[in-house]
Amino acid sequence: MSGIVCAIRGGPASQPTIHKAIKLAEETEQKIYFLYVVNLDFLERTTSSRTHTISRELRQMGNFILLTAQDQANSRGMSADGVIREGNIGEEIIRFCREIQADYIVLGRPKGEHEHNEFTRDRLNLFVQLIEDSSGAKAILVEEEEK
Amino acid sequence: MNPTLRRTFLSAALILISLVLLWTNSPSRAQSDLSPVLIAGSVFDNLDQPVSGAQVILSGKDPDSIISEVLTESSGNFLLDVPENIPDNLNLHIERAHFETLEVPLTPADIQELKKGDSITTPDLVINRRITISFWIATLIFVGVLVLIATGKLHNTLAALVGASLIYFVSYIGYPINENLYIFNFHQSLFYVDWNVIFLIMGMMIIIAVVENTGIFQWLAFTAYRISGGKMILLLPILMLITGIASAFLDNVTTMLLMTPISVQIALSLGLSPLVLLIPEVMASNVIGISTLIGTPTNILIGSYAHLSFNDFLVNLTPGVIMAFIGLALYSYLTYRKQLSGSQDTSALLLERLGQQASITEPIHLKKAGVIGFFMLLLFMFGERIHLIPAVTALLGATALMVWIRPNIEEMIEAVDWTTLVFFISLFIVVGAIQEVGLISFIAEEIGIMVGDNLLLAVLVVIWFSAILSTVIANIPFTAAMLPVIGYLTITIPGAQSMVLFYCLSVGSAMGGNGSLIGASANMVTSGIAERAGYPITYVYFFKKGFPALLITVTLATIWLLIRFL
Repeated sequence: MSGIVCAIRGGPASQPTIHKAIKLAEETEQKIYFLYVVNLDFLERTTSSRTHTISRELRQMGNFILLTAQDQANSRGMSADGVIREGNIGEEIIRFCREIQADYIVLGRPKGEHEHNEFTRDRLNLFVQLIEDSSGAKAILVEEEEK
Repeated sequence: MNPTLRRTFLSAALILISLVLLWTNSPSRAQSDLSPVLIAGSVFDNLDQPVSGAQVILSGKDPDSIISEVLTESSGNFLLDVPENIPDNLNLHIERAHFETLEVPLTPADIQELKKGDSITTPDLVINRRITISFWIATLIFVGVLVLIATGKLHNTLAALVGASLIYFVSYIGYPINENLYIFNFHQSLFYVDWNVIFLIMGMMIIIAVVENTGIFQWLAFTAYRISGGKMILLLPILMLITGIASAFLDNVTTMLLMTPISVQIALSLGLSPLVLLIPEVMASNVIGISTLIGTPTNILIGSYAHLSFNDFLVNLTPGVIMAFIGLALYSYLTYRKQLSGSQDTSALLLERLGQQASITEPIHLKKAGVIGFFMLLLFMFGERIHLIPAVTALLGATALMVWIRPNIEEMIEAVDWTTLVFFISLFIVVGAIQEVGLISFIAEEIGIMVGDNLLLAVLVVIWFSAILSTVIANIPFTAAMLPVIGYLTITIPGAQSMVLFYCLSVGSAMGGNGSLIGASANMVTSGIAERAGYPITYVYFFKKGFPALLITVTLATIWLLIRFL
């Protein structure tokens, strides 16, 4: 199995990433896998420990966001699947790329990011390198300038 | 049971109880017969608050010759036994940690009365606070906990637990080195834990765990969309109202955990930015949540401390909340009118998917939870007539629901948010420590001096001070710390006995949460989920939208409280 993995989380910031993945799919005639990772780190700031319920709700929301991306790909005649994972964003992206032996991974750096994770400026390049080394997929970074 | 049988049973029970009491109390009873002479009195601090746990010692000329001793009760009262042989000189010696020791010699007239075999009552005894190093340590620990919570350096529960542990550490390890390091012991600290609050929250968590899995929120939100017919001018207030009413019966965090994902989906289906719905919803949650006793943790704290019933909140706060909500709804519409009236790119595919998802998944559980909820509401409203406290009602409801639906009991136990319960217990201990060492009395005295006998000024100070402070510090520890202060002001300010200042604290601490992103846990949860949908809510964005809402809602609630109580 091979294909293009496009990690998204919705919103205007994901649009250039989705467009890039669709364009790449048109060029390479490969299938797109839109990936949404449910991450519950934000619950650490509150006293709530209802991870089961919120995980279910976020999965449903993630499915919805994936559907919007799949709809865009389908309207351009491209085949696209939506995949939901849960856990650490970086680890899950790498794991999924390995699972499907992805040829490409398309990533964006959402504007207004204020959580410290793989997508923050200081860690993004290292993360891209890690993906390429550990999964063999070629990483395509959709920088803000392109958006 | 027929009347004769009931009388026989009651008589037998009374005889049995009498025999047991006679047997267990026979030595003291005998002693009491021999020396029925008593010294009665009360011990107060310099703010006229009763001092409990003070040691009252009756001694002769030699201070070491203890004749009798007793601890004061929670009312500050004491009752000392006086033996038959009464010396010519008698002294009362009152001592308690964090207070100066008081020596009171009994007058010759009092001693004559006692010698004649008559009991006496002393004038009220006042002991003064003593500021020691433990005062500063407890204060530092409390401030440290607030800072850890506000900055997010530690999870709320861990921050409070660290605070409580430090207090025990200082009291137990520090005391042998310097006795002024003593704050309180484990047994005394438990006195400050309000178990009514703990059990009420626990019972409600079990009910919520059943309700949240029924799909009711998704169904309600989609129904709101259908009722509005896609008209934004209707959809926004309906969603705000649903969120608010849910928040009045569930905690705000749970409400927003369930409302945010479905609101994001509705907004995306309608081609709207989800923030247009989410910001007004979370603000409505913070405002309407305080209309009932069980709507917010701060109300639960206030209700338990001040003995305010479910009905008290409904009667005294709900009209003000309605006024504030109307103001908030108008403000929200004006703030987002451009987005709401702009052209929307509605997606038929997404709306169809939304309709498929928005169904009641557990109709039988929902029906049973509805029936139990109805009876719980009746008990909350009328239970006080039979002295049924809300914590017992919540536990009865939770147990009845579990017996009826027979869920996996382990899943239900897991559904109880133990981190929250540990947070509250630890917080009560930390707040108890600053109460014990006198920080709360100091703050109460200063505010008392500032407002004097002016109730209007007190109302304005409490409501606005709470609101502004709640934008930067967590409102639960703030409210817990303010309760004894408000209790003191309620007693000392003429007219405040109507409990108006407690309602001011409720309004200020909850509506103040709208002033900043970190002002309420529900804001943080909403922000976290919105960010995961690609719509981050920045601190500046929330402040720009939230602070005017704070000013509007708190002003309207203040007007109501002034109309109602002044």
